Amino acid sequence: MVVAFQTPPIVANDTQPRKLTFVDDVLPILTSRCLKCHSGNRPKAGLNLSERPLVMRGGISGPAIRVAAAQSSLLWDRIATGEMPPQGPPLSGAEKGIIRTWINDGAINQAGEDGEVIDSHESDEYPLTESDRNFWSFRPAQHHKLPSVETSHRMRTPVDSFVLHSLQQAGLNLSSEATPETLLRRTTFDLIGLPPTPEEVTDFHQDTSPDAYERATDRLLSSPHYGERWGRHWLDIAGYADSTGVLGADYPLHFMFRYRDYVIQAFNQDKPYDRFLLEQIAGDELVDYHSAFAQEERLSPKIVEALIATGFLRTAPDSSREDFNTIKNVEALYYYPTINDQLKILMSSTLGLTVHCAKCHNHMFDPISQQEYYELQAILMGAYRPKSWIPQMHRRVPEATKSQLDSAKKHNDQLDAEIAERNKAKEVLQSKYVQLLAELRAAELPDSIREDVLLAVQEKAAERTALQSYLSEKFQTLLFPASEDLTKTLSDNYPEYTSNVKTLDAEIASRNGRRAVFDEIRAIYDLPGDVPTPFLHRGDALTPGHLVEPGVVRVVSAPQQFAWDRPTAAVPTSGRRLAFARWLTQPSHPLTARVMTNRIWLHHFGRGIVSTPDDFGRAGELPSHPQLLDWLSIDFAGHRWSVKRLHRHILHSSTYRQQSAFIPATHATASQQDPENKLLWRQRLRRLEAEPIRDSMLFVGGRLRKQIFGRHIPLASHPNGEVTNAPNTDAYRRSIYYQVLRSKPLTMLGAFDQPRMKTNCAVRDQSTVSTQALTVLNSDQTVNAAQAFAAHLESEAAKNPVSTAIRIAYSRAPRVGETETMTAFFESQIKRYQQLQKEAETAPEKAPGAPRFQALTDLCHMLLSSNEFIYID
Amino acid sequence: MSIRNTIPPAIPRRQLLSQMGAGFGGIALSALLQEAGSGHLATAAPQTHFDVSLKQPHQAPRAKAVIQLFMHGGPSHVDLLDPKPLLTKHDGGTAPGEVADDENRTTYLLGSPFKFSPRGQSGIEYSELLPHIGGHADRIAVIRSMFTEHRNHEHAIWMAHTGRIIPGRPHYGSWLAYGLGTENQELPAFVSLPDPAGLPVDETRNWSAGWLPPVYQGTPVRSVGPPVLHLHPTKARAQNTDAARLAFLKELNERHKAARPGELELDARIKSFELAARMQLSATEALNIEQETLTTQRLYGMHEDKTKSYGKRCLMARRLVERGVRFVQILMQGQPWDTHTANTAGTKDCCAQTDLPVSGLLTDLEQRGLLDSTLIVWGGEFGRTPAAEQRDGNIAKGNEGRDHHPYGFSVWLAGGGIQGGQAYGATDDFGYRSVVDRTQTADLHATILHLMGLSHEELVFGRNGRDERLTDVYDAHPIKALLS
Repeated sequence: MVVAFQTPPIVANDTQPRKLTFVDDVLPILTSRCLKCHSGNRPKAGLNLSERPLVMRGGISGPAIRVAAAQSSLLWDRIATGEMPPQGPPLSGAEKGIIRTWINDGAINQAGEDGEVIDSHESDEYPLTESDRNFWSFRPAQHHKLPSVETSHRMRTPVDSFVLHSLQQAGLNLSSEATPETLLRRTTFDLIGLPPTPEEVTDFHQDTSPDAYERATDRLLSSPHYGERWGRHWLDIAGYADSTGVLGADYPLHFMFRYRDYVIQAFNQDKPYDRFLLEQIAGDELVDYHSAFAQEERLSPKIVEALIATGFLRTAPDSSREDFNTIKNVEALYYYPTINDQLKILMSSTLGLTVHCAKCHNHMFDPISQQEYYELQAILMGAYRPKSWIPQMHRRVPEATKSQLDSAKKHNDQLDAEIAERNKAKEVLQSKYVQLLAELRAAELPDSIREDVLLAVQEKAAERTALQSYLSEKFQTLLFPASEDLTKTLSDNYPEYTSNVKTLDAEIASRNGRRAVFDEIRAIYDLPGDVPTPFLHRGDALTPGHLVEPGVVRVVSAPQQFAWDRPTAAVPTSGRRLAFARWLTQPSHPLTARVMTNRIWLHHFGRGIVSTPDDFGRAGELPSHPQLLDWLSIDFAGHRWSVKRLHRHILHSSTYRQQSAFIPATHATASQQDPENKLLWRQRLRRLEAEPIRDSMLFVGGRLRKQIFGRHIPLASHPNGEVTNAPNTDAYRRSIYYQVLRSKPLTMLGAFDQPRMKTNCAVRDQSTVSTQALTVLNSDQTVNAAQAFAAHLESEAAKNPVSTAIRIAYSRAPRVGETETMTAFFESQIKRYQQLQKEAETAPEKAPGAPRFQALTDLCHMLLSSNEFIYID
Repeated sequence: MSIRNTIPPAIPRRQLLSQMGAGFGGIALSALLQEAGSGHLATAAPQTHFDVSLKQPHQAPRAKAVIQLFMHGGPSHVDLLDPKPLLTKHDGGTAPGEVADDENRTTYLLGSPFKFSPRGQSGIEYSELLPHIGGHADRIAVIRSMFTEHRNHEHAIWMAHTGRIIPGRPHYGSWLAYGLGTENQELPAFVSLPDPAGLPVDETRNWSAGWLPPVYQGTPVRSVGPPVLHLHPTKARAQNTDAARLAFLKELNERHKAARPGELELDARIKSFELAARMQLSATEALNIEQETLTTQRLYGMHEDKTKSYGKRCLMARRLVERGVRFVQILMQGQPWDTHTANTAGTKDCCAQTDLPVSGLLTDLEQRGLLDSTLIVWGGEFGRTPAAEQRDGNIAKGNEGRDHHPYGFSVWLAGGGIQGGQAYGATDDFGYRSVVDRTQTADLHATILHLMGLSHEELVFGRNGRDERLTDVYDAHPIKALLS
């Protein structure tokens, strides 16, 4: 196996041979000859040669090298025998020599290192390369002219220009336009998360004006339910939950719902997205809550709104309690994880960057340094301070100013004093009547022993004589009834005592009722004073390093620099978050508008222009239509960041309005050239998310209550493990209003992949499992929904329930033959139930109920269970 | 316990990529990345559909199913599996040598009141509290050198189940379901059998799939009352009306699908309803222990009040793995092994509940030829201190308890691919520290995956631009000495 090799030219400065290093000598060889297969996440044979520790770890055949023993190292063996690389010429003698020498030299990384050193890439110095800076998403969006396309009759909005252009370049075209019914159902679900009613379908059909569709979208965009639908998308990426749970205890958050309502409202009002972000990140600083708190009489609605918005930065899991300060290493175990989670949420939602990789080492894919990670962390440090942590349950911001709090305190102190007076009066009253009672009872004693008894009970227990003990034992409770009987005995003997006590109790209750209390806001706020942010070596709170200043990711080429000045000592808030939010919301920011534009697109097409909406970095996917993304983003930021305008660009386009069906004859070429439909030669068939599924099931039966906003509806677990709304609470609200518990989701929603919030969720999973089918077929929720649907049909459409059922459930007219098939099932099912009823005559308790209603319920239940109900074309 | 060595990649990935770009000269970096994106980088085109259909293992498996007998609270190793004559000899004396500063609540050494004796051909010593399990000594490999990283229950449970002391990660049962799928599509891949008396500590998170898709989470199956949520409707349906409903649903779905060729999701959902219908029958059948002979039931201690509940769950576990379920977890209420006070009585009681049923499970599996393909994993989240614990400054003389002990404890494995009749590794003379063949949880996990035909390094799940593994950043290795 010994193979001749030349001594490699590795002599530095002519004289001293220098030691080979992995980076300078070995890696270039591996890069050009090995890494095409042996790198990345699924390297061939499990062997990743891109980093030295991975080389050491080896692949499925074992460690690739044995240090200082090339002859028994697999890596050398495969290279020496010429087995590797399998393609191209074998390595040259010099190249082989480098590898062999490097292994025999100890396979070290750099001189003086043992090869396992971490701090080598924990560097403050982090040179950005040209290619780093030029990565598409780090450069501002470019203005692009609308590309010219061959046929123009499908051109409706600029979206079409770009999509048609790339389709035509590939020799493809859009599919034909979806039918009005399909289009209305798609658009209605997309915008409000509910199906269109049969009346809406009919109206749309009959509206022959050229802008009928545009007006339909306007109607939906101005529906209050639009905010419920799109607010929910935002809550996913904000990581919204009504509990904080980390440990077994999943503490409820009582006022988080105000943030949820703020989000719904913001979408409904088309709040400019820049303002939306400013308020969520630094609402308190933006509207100067702190001055208002100190100086004003009341908080204005605008200030309250901005404070509620900052709930966005209170979404990370945090179970901290007061007694956590006794936990060893609590900062690393609990406090830093909360900060890190919150930072991850902030960065992935607004910038589409996965900065958390840089917590322990420089980012592996993106030019984000560990230094920068801690500079970003410093932005949140004003509020989240590991060294002076406020337990989460104490972070309460009352909706009040200082003057309100002061006068409330005065008011409450006054009430407390008055209550104390009355409690005192009650005590006086009681002792008075106790005395009266004792005298009364004593008077009833035989004269001969009265004196002795009184002496005995008044004597200290320890000093009683035997006789006195006997007497006191015998007569104590007669004279002084035990406390549990006292009230009754007194009121039996002295009715005026009871009425006096009642009066006092009523006075106390009325004062308690007048106590000044304030609603709370789950807001972020800075703690007083400056705070240092240490760089943490290896991300470990036990190894803090130098201090860093607030900053942002340098590689992102935003025209306006991040600017923050350390405030003078006296200010109540540091301005870090506002400085960050201002940097983030500048119109030419390379990421902000693009990331949001991409999210809007995602929910209209089932896939983003960038298919990794929370990763616009190098590990993410490249945009399928980069110019379109730029055009829409610039338009978005340039038109008061209006989300609804963005919707219109998309919804009105022919691209959105095309059919989703795959037609083998027409799409043969397209499906070969672009099997994933990245170029959008058809719309995509999409499954509804958990909330629209549940809401629609209630909606078709006329049960769904359309009230918007409000305190979350609490959940309860049942002995069988099911989680539903708590007893005696409203079961028919839209799903967004039910409590979101991290530890136990509402069963119906959890079954359809509502995310469990660990941090946040950019793209929901979609599972199709039989337990889901069991829930649909057998849960009380769906059975009840089907019954309600059937009852609705019986009262509204007793004559033609079957065709009406189709119109309501599928938002379309019955197809040819469909009513007949369904009627056949309906009637045969009626017969089955009639038969069952007959058989049950001997055992009436087993009678299944009215056959017709049972059969209709079955029909409805199967419609709700069917694919057509939960998929949109 | 240092895990640092394996965290750092010596060359930042991005630097490497730019070097690759330079290396290829004319090829634009973006093109290169695009190519990488199609096959190499973590989060490329995110997979959004997941199922439990059978997957190809990485290597030939030694076992097909795992039964995890999780002992919440942390069983006392020195009273059960790790005999320490010196501890007994110095009972009441002070602990020798260095004792961790977080053990300052412990006081004098507390020898085990229980006798150990060699069992089987192998002569491995078992406590008198495990008379029945000890009878299987030649099938069991005891690991006496486990250590973990946290002394709180939840953290240590997360470590034992998910590989790290942080919440929200997937149980290794979920990894198995993800990596291997399951043989019987009519039953869940991962079944959890909680105590009907109540949930264990950390509750439903004991069978959480963490960030793996929910299809891989454990399905809790109740051993009393209806076994699976929504397996049957609250109000029973007549067989013929129910069949007609499902036939009608299929008709609706087929008609819908016919107009949408090539949409595999629609097929998958149609199939899921068919499976659900079959599951109604198969789950009911699988969990019907009435079908078992009285002899078998007695084997599991179902004739005794003390052992009935745990025995029933063990028997259900056998029926489930027999039918192709990939992973079964048996849990006890609360954390019965957490013997802070009255360690003797508490440990005795836990053994009285579990020793016979677990032994019955081993015997039954063996008799049915299933033990070769079923891996049994017995153990808790940590062990207990060799010294007596003082509570609120007091010691209950004669009624001492033992505190949590992460630095050295025992677990045992038996069945598929395990070389029985051995004790692997060792703690020091007093049972404080794992000192010989120290075994981190990641090694145990790597071993379990290995026996199931999976490489802990290859079984990855792309998330947030990172390939997640059960063993995460640990330098983990399957423990060769345990393998037959």
